[in-house]
Amino acid sequence: MTTFIGRGVVSGVALGRIKRPARDLTAYLERYRPGSVEEETSRLERALAGAKDQLQAILSGPSVDDTLSAIMGAHLMMLDDPGLVEYIMEKIREGDSAPRSVLAACEAYAAQFAALDDPYLRERAADIRDIGRRVAGLLLGVDGEGAGAQAVEARGVASNSGIVLCAPDIEPSVVAAYPPGQLQALLLGQGSTTSHAVIIAKARGIVTVVGLGEAVDEIPDGAEAIVDGDSGEVRLSPDEKERNAVLARIAAQAEQRRQDLADATLPAVTRDGVRVQLAANIGSPGEWENARALGAEGVGLFRSEFLFMGRDAFPSEEEQFAAYRQAAEGCGGHLCVIRTLDIGGDKPLAHLAIGHEDNPFLGWRAIRISLERTDLFRTQLKAILRAGCYGKVAVMLPMVISAGEIRQARAILTEATEELARERREFAADVPVGIMVETPAAAATASLLAPACDFFSIGTNDLVQYTLAVDRGNPKVAPLYSHFHPAVLRLIDATIQAARQQGIWVGMCGEMAGDPLAAPLLVGMGIDELSMSAPSIPQVKAVIRNLSICEAQEMREAALAMDDAAAVRAYLEKWRRSAAL
Amino acid sequence: MYPLTEIQLVLMNPTGLHARPASQFVQTAARFKSKVQIIAGSKRADGKSILNVMTMGLKKGADFTVSADGEDEAECLAALQALVEGNFGEG
Repeated sequence: MTTFIGRGVVSGVALGRIKRPARDLTAYLERYRPGSVEEETSRLERALAGAKDQLQAILSGPSVDDTLSAIMGAHLMMLDDPGLVEYIMEKIREGDSAPRSVLAACEAYAAQFAALDDPYLRERAADIRDIGRRVAGLLLGVDGEGAGAQAVEARGVASNSGIVLCAPDIEPSVVAAYPPGQLQALLLGQGSTTSHAVIIAKARGIVTVVGLGEAVDEIPDGAEAIVDGDSGEVRLSPDEKERNAVLARIAAQAEQRRQDLADATLPAVTRDGVRVQLAANIGSPGEWENARALGAEGVGLFRSEFLFMGRDAFPSEEEQFAAYRQAAEGCGGHLCVIRTLDIGGDKPLAHLAIGHEDNPFLGWRAIRISLERTDLFRTQLKAILRAGCYGKVAVMLPMVISAGEIRQARAILTEATEELARERREFAADVPVGIMVETPAAAATASLLAPACDFFSIGTNDLVQYTLAVDRGNPKVAPLYSHFHPAVLRLIDATIQAARQQGIWVGMCGEMAGDPLAAPLLVGMGIDELSMSAPSIPQVKAVIRNLSICEAQEMREAALAMDDAAAVRAYLEKWRRSAAL
Repeated sequence: MYPLTEIQLVLMNPTGLHARPASQFVQTAARFKSKVQIIAGSKRADGKSILNVMTMGLKKGADFTVSADGEDEAECLAALQALVEGNFGEG
């Protein structure tokens, strides 16, 4: 049995047959018999019309959300593009077959998009390739990936074994085309967690492992695979015994999920009465309702970036105020922690000239931008202070490395209150100010920073990346990225202890906060709050409710004594199995 | 006298010919019968194709030429000029 390791990004375990969408077309292309230029042209016209019908069908289907409809809407516009059609026609007139012309034209556009320095436009490369495969699929009689998937099922795959799509990268509509429940898992060579395919997989809870690199080429079509979206492990051709064990785990997982969801709105209290606040990370005020239904008790991370991105100018104070107020009001009596503008690094802004940087993650980003562009920062702080009249809000500063930065930020906050007073506007005077502890510098000096803060929130995504010097998007080093690395655990523990000693509350808002395996450790360390993407809340709550604080503290001690991430993970997994979670 | 069939324009809106301005440009061009081209440096694009316009990657400050050829070319250029010089309705 062969095992591959990638990075799990959508948790759960799945069993299914490997399907490689990219290979299928090659075989079809070889079998294709092209006709005359006229014949190829009319086949092309029929295929284009058919592709539009398919997209319309997806758009009017039962499981359409905003994400999907925006993506598919853009695809429809591209299908109508005269530039694209003319390019394909030119290839056909030169003597190429219709499907090859379509693929070549789309690939040429994709290459042009991929070469642009604007990240939004670069992402369109995957979309135009998607269009090409859809139209070519129709010309070749493949009839869309969804139908192809059904054909695989019809060829006698065991009824309890679904499909595991496996490719270097995958087009969003391929994922979208599968009826709910049929696609069990997604395996990708690329390491991005923000591609359209991964976003759809997350929304639908499809177990996903990314960052497999070139290993995806070694995974054979049709092989049966066990995919673990927590450990990132992919095991091929399991024997009967292993297969049965996984099927039992899948059944237990479904039952557990049902149970967790039913208990989602109960508080997260350990068996001996220690309460942890479970909050949600949200990107826009509209996401709060869903988070509350899943049991969130407030917002631990409101990413204000959404107000600034994908638009042509900075949002005004009024516009920001309206959004922050909506979020604060929505949270009712719960706290809504608003992170000030966190851009730069992998999140550029079209209307802010950051310029070329050799190391954007070590460059001009987050608080560094705010402290230079004090005009933008002051406007944002004024909007947050005003929203504070409509609920409980807090200001959180990203990427802090020194107390001086917090003092500077507080001085600008004072200016903002003075301006609001002069303008005779209503505002909350006592808004708490905290920092994201996401640099090794902040974690190592937590006891020096705590006196300047009302709270800490540990941002593990960047903290892990900076501490381990591992770019998590790079498939070659992705296996090294782990929040269970001893260096990371020690920094987190030291941060929590420093906060507790100085009497400020401490939360966590990175991916680790939503990892049910990590919850016992963090509770044992004394974390006050965990903020995560809403779908993780029910599961993490269930773990905390099954835990006693003594047990959690023992686990903390044991884990902190271990010298490698894999050992910590194995230890925590063993506990979870013994606790039957 | 031939009517003017080319105009020189400078992009002054903050995002340049990004997705939304590009689609506004293409939709405006598509209202006219004339063939519309954008020329910038050595690049040339069909002004009615959003893919072609977007892949030019024109940014704020870029100067470019728009040409129109057809019976309604003057009206077409006037409409495109108004759109670009009005910064695509951006503040």
